[in-house]
Amino acid sequence: MGKNNKTPEQKQYEKLEQQHETKRPVLKNCIKAFFVGGTICAIGQAVSYFYIYFFNFTEQTASNPTVATMIFFSMLLTGFGVYDRLGQFAGAGSAVPVTGFGNSVISAAIEHRTEGFVLGVGGNMFKLAGSVILFGVFSAFVVALIKTIVIQWFGGGFQ
Amino acid sequence: MEKRLMLFIFSLSVLLFGCSTVNDTPETRSSLVRTSNPNPIAVNNKDEKLVGDIKETALSIDGIYDVAVIKGEAKDCLVAFKVHHLERFRMKKIEKQLTKELQKQFKDLSFTVSSDFKIFLEAVRLNEKVEKENLSKEKKEKRLQEIIKLSREKT
Repeated sequence: MGKNNKTPEQKQYEKLEQQHETKRPVLKNCIKAFFVGGTICAIGQAVSYFYIYFFNFTEQTASNPTVATMIFFSMLLTGFGVYDRLGQFAGAGSAVPVTGFGNSVISAAIEHRTEGFVLGVGGNMFKLAGSVILFGVFSAFVVALIKTIVIQWFGGGFQ
Repeated sequence: MEKRLMLFIFSLSVLLFGCSTVNDTPETRSSLVRTSNPNPIAVNNKDEKLVGDIKETALSIDGIYDVAVIKGEAKDCLVAFKVHHLERFRMKKIEKQLTKELQKQFKDLSFTVSSDFKIFLEAVRLNEKVEKENLSKEKKEKRLQEIIKLSREKT
C-alpha cells in the first residue's frame, strides 16, 4: 500500500496516536548533553595540561596520551557500570567525545567475553566502533585528498 | 555503586600521586592563567640589551601579552608567547606576523617562534633556575637546544 492512500481508519488512528504520544524533551536533552559533554571535555583538557606540566609533551603532542587516558577512564567507568547510567542521562553528550568510542569498544568486549577470547572478544570488539574507525579513516583520506589537490592547484596559498 | 566509585577514585589518585615531584614555584604553576612576564635570558651577558629589544618587539604585536625570550650562544633565539584568549582564532597569523617582524629587525639571528604553552612554561622554568642558581653558559645553551628540539616535535 502506498504512503498517501491510507484508509480512513488509519488516518483516525494517526490522529489518536498524535494526541497520546509523549513529546520528546528535545531542548532538555540538548542542555543535558551540552553540560555533560562539556564536563567530559573539561576533564580531557585537565588531563592534557597534566601531561604538559609533568611530562615532556607540548600542546601539540599531548593529545595522543590524553586520548589514551580518556579511553582508559571510560574503560574503568564502563567496567564499573557507571558509564551506562551516564549514557542514559546525557545521551549524545557522553557518546560524542572519545570516551563514547571507548565505551562502545569495551561494552562489546564485555558482552561477548563468554564466547571466548578469539571468536568472542576479538571478533566482536569493534562491532559498534568499527563504523567509527572506517568512516573516520575514510573521511580523513577524503579531506587529505582535497587538501593535496587544492595545494597543488593554488600553490600552497591555503596552507 | 558507591563502593565502585570509591574504588575508581582511589585507583585514579594512586595513578596521579606519582607525579608530585616537580618543584615549581606558585608563579610558574599559575603561568597558564596569569601574566608571568619572565625576564629575557641571554646565554652571553653582552646580549642582554638585544634580548630586551626582542621582547619589546614581540610585545608590540597586537594580541600578544606575555613573552619569554632565550638567546643562545650563537644565532639561535627562542621566542615563546601567549595571546589573549579570543585572539587564539588568529594565532597562526600572529605567529607569522611576529616571525616576519623579528626577522626584519634582527637580520643575523635565527628565530624559533612558538605559541605552544609547553615551550613558554619551559622558558619560565629556565628563567627561574637562572635566577635561583648560577647556571653555567653550557647548561643554559644545552637546555635552550633541548627546548628548541621539543618545539619542533610534531607527533
